[in-house]
Amino acid sequence: MNALEIKELTKKYGKAVAVDNIDLTIKKGEFFGLLGQNGAGKSTTINCITGISQFAQGSIAVMGNDVQEEYQKARISIGLSPQEFNADIFAPLEKILNFVGGYFGLDSKTRAERINEVLDRFELQEHRKKPFGKLSGGLKRRAILARALIHRPELLILDEPTAGVDVEQRHALWKYLEDLHNSGTTIILTSHYLEEVEHLCSRVAIMHNGEIIADLSKKEFTKNGDKLEDTYLKLTAKKV
Amino acid sequence: MNAIRLFTVARREIQRFLRIPIQTLISPWISATLYILVFGVIIGSRIDFLENIDYIDFVFPGILMLQIIAGAFGQSSTSLYFQRWTKAIEEMLTSPLSYTEMIFGYIIGALSRALIVGGGIYIIALLFTQATPEHIGLFFFYVLIVAIIFSLLGLIVGLWADKFEHLTMLQTFIITPLMYVGGVFNSIDMLPENIHWLVKLNPFFYIVDGLRFAMIGYSESPLVLGAIFLISVAIILFATVWVLFHRGWRLRS
Repeated sequence: MNALEIKELTKKYGKAVAVDNIDLTIKKGEFFGLLGQNGAGKSTTINCITGISQFAQGSIAVMGNDVQEEYQKARISIGLSPQEFNADIFAPLEKILNFVGGYFGLDSKTRAERINEVLDRFELQEHRKKPFGKLSGGLKRRAILARALIHRPELLILDEPTAGVDVEQRHALWKYLEDLHNSGTTIILTSHYLEEVEHLCSRVAIMHNGEIIADLSKKEFTKNGDKLEDTYLKLTAKKV
Repeated sequence: MNAIRLFTVARREIQRFLRIPIQTLISPWISATLYILVFGVIIGSRIDFLENIDYIDFVFPGILMLQIIAGAFGQSSTSLYFQRWTKAIEEMLTSPLSYTEMIFGYIIGALSRALIVGGGIYIIALLFTQATPEHIGLFFFYVLIVAIIFSLLGLIVGLWADKFEHLTMLQTFIITPLMYVGGVFNSIDMLPENIHWLVKLNPFFYIVDGLRFAMIGYSESPLVLGAIFLISVAIILFATVWVLFHRGWRLRS
């Protein structure tokens, strides 16, 4: 079974086409990188997968479940760490994690265990009682990641997860994501740090003006000894 | 419907209003105390317009209903709007919560606030009058149905609002004026006969009158018709909110 299957997806905002008839299949267990300039359609695609955006053309299935027809089954498999911080700024971190665990149907005992687990993992224990709005940018980013993992999703979608995170934390996060991937979680990563994508992902797609202009394994991207960044710049420059 | 998911939404709503008790609980208690004291006790002791009914007992149901409406409406409208504004709503939109679970969660939160506000006002009223409901079942029917109606209206306004100012518009321009002319402070007999028909077109007249009958056994409206009207409004509003949530109106881009 594929973790994600997108068929002929088109998403428009009024007359503006944000995503233009894309097809994309991601196998279970892949670590997939999605690259593109700002406004290329990456976040819109992610929003369509996760239910933040609606779409009228095409279909998306997560773990075999259509995200519109069987949205509850599909969403239970997804963990999202969005680009923008989207949490109640007045709510303490542990409450946010508790509520999200509840939205995913976890009972109180499981929620308490999972909250401790993710707070330990992201070194957030000492901040658990602080309101989300009082956390620093880096702590907020880690809190959002912790929230995405509270229900142990099969498909983890990370939209710019290391933006604003210091180098040490970024490397610690890479290690964690590698461990998570090795334990079987499918991961989709968008990032403007191309060395991050090159380090972590086995397959990379590039979006430009709402279209997927390249979808290759990392080996193919770097086969002539080029860095991913060089190939990325060549491909997007051609289109510009 | 999954009980854990439903009650998580309700719990979050309850904790939200308990986080700001001065605004959500103490303020309506003080406001109602002043109404009871000024209109019910100070002015009311000089008014003798109905046989065997003290003026404080006549106005109390309306004062109670005013705060129940404000509590239920304020809870759901502000909460939903604030979640849209901070994008925290995306936590729910990306989860397996069903639309029914979301809506019922908001309703339970709004009902809880309305009942705590109403309960507090009732206790305050006991300092000044007996305030014992004559028909306890009807009393709870009116309190609950009205709180449900205004929590649903609050959700519609919470979806529609583009700025905080929009949240108070319905309250300022429609709810409060219609309540005040809907018989909170006066009997319909105190008004000129040629405008009675106008009062009878005001839905708030049936709300206040229904609760007044439940509390003191005095009524000026057809109660069964009023109850059917309120139940119908609640059903229509629930269906409307469900469709709006399902379509993602102002929720999903």
